Amino acid sequence: MPPDPDRILSDFIDAWNAGRRPDADDYVGRADEPDRAPLASDIVAFLAFAPTPEYDDAALEAIRAEPAVLAGAAATRAPGGLWPSLLPQLRRRASLSTGQLAAALVGALGLSPDREAKTRDYLERLEAGELEPRGLAGRLLDGLARLLEVPRTVLDGAGGFGTAPAPALFRAEGPRAEELRDDLDVLADALAAPAGGDWDEVDELFRGGDR
Amino acid sequence: MPDEPDHLLLRRYHAARQEGRDDEAARVWERLAENNFDRIKQICSAFRYTGGTGLPATETGSAATEAYLRVVAMGRSFREREVGQFRAAVYRTVHNACLDYGRKELRHQRRAGGSLDERYEPDGDAGPYDAALARYEAERRTDVREALEDEARRRRAEGLARWGIAQVRNDNYRAVLELTHLEKLDAAAIADRLGISLDNVYQRRRRGLTELEKILRAPRS
Repeated sequence: MPPDPDRILSDFIDAWNAGRRPDADDYVGRADEPDRAPLASDIVAFLAFAPTPEYDDAALEAIRAEPAVLAGAAATRAPGGLWPSLLPQLRRRASLSTGQLAAALVGALGLSPDREAKTRDYLERLEAGELEPRGLAGRLLDGLARLLEVPRTVLDGAGGFGTAPAPALFRAEGPRAEELRDDLDVLADALAAPAGGDWDEVDELFRGGDR
Repeated sequence: MPDEPDHLLLRRYHAARQEGRDDEAARVWERLAENNFDRIKQICSAFRYTGGTGLPATETGSAATEAYLRVVAMGRSFREREVGQFRAAVYRTVHNACLDYGRKELRHQRRAGGSLDERYEPDGDAGPYDAALARYEAERRTDVREALEDEARRRRAEGLARWGIAQVRNDNYRAVLELTHLEKLDAAAIADRLGISLDNVYQRRRRGLTELEKILRAPRS
């Protein structure tokens, strides 16, 4: 007797609601070949609005050990946000090495071909979490979104929650505090300003900000 | 830390954002994403293009990872306040990630006469459930008192699905969907509660889901 797809779907639903973490592939594979695509669609229809199960501790621990979840958790705390996890993922999907992506960016953004090495170096630093995502220019994000075939909004979100640098602490009060605050602002602006000399368009794209 | 339900996490996320506690908002969003990891992963596994083919088995894991990271990225600017809206956004994000993942593979199919349909604007927010969300919101706004009562808020946590189930015309399907989605009863318990056979439960669940899907995807009227 052929397996009943309605029953397979129902078994999947019961396993999901019970927090047993059913594998959709496994359940779809139980059906006869012609029934598999409709069964998969029914499972997706259920999952779109299924209640989230009440997972037990073991299940939650297993979920938190998944590589994707670990990457997401690390991104929440790291200054580089999601970039170190997301960019290599997107590159792999697009079958581009860092060098190839740099070359494509240089072309797409109309940069001088001799800027390719510097662009690659910046991309590597972005993947290593060494760059502050707020420094990435909008034009760069547009270019990356186009080349990596991903919505720009995803790249905007990759910067994390915008953790601000720790505020300066000082004890002055009243007018003295205001004076000191002004001085500190000037100092902060000076530190954040681009260095002279070698600063070029590539630096502007990766560190200049202004989305 | 104990498992917190999605609607409470979403509420805490918005409270933290509103009060400028970004670090806390990020941690809460991370928990919300964790809670929904299996949903994301299994939607990728069961995802099918028009024509019935799914992602290659070797790509499903990578697609799920990318989809999960996209959902984490969504937390930087998520504005909706209800779990149903959150789930619709998760579904849309995962669906688009799967389409993007299979894009290369499908290019030659499209050239060969197939189509890569259902692609929403890459930067747009349109999704298959938008019309249902709009109708649901419109109906919800008509009851002002509801917004003031905490009990009503709790009931609304599963709002969109609950609203959709209430629109299912067939009483038998609706009863099975309510017991499945809202009370999380298994098939045997539903059969027992309704006094029907297991085969009937299986059939009504599937047919009810099909009808619910139609309601939630129906164009705006």
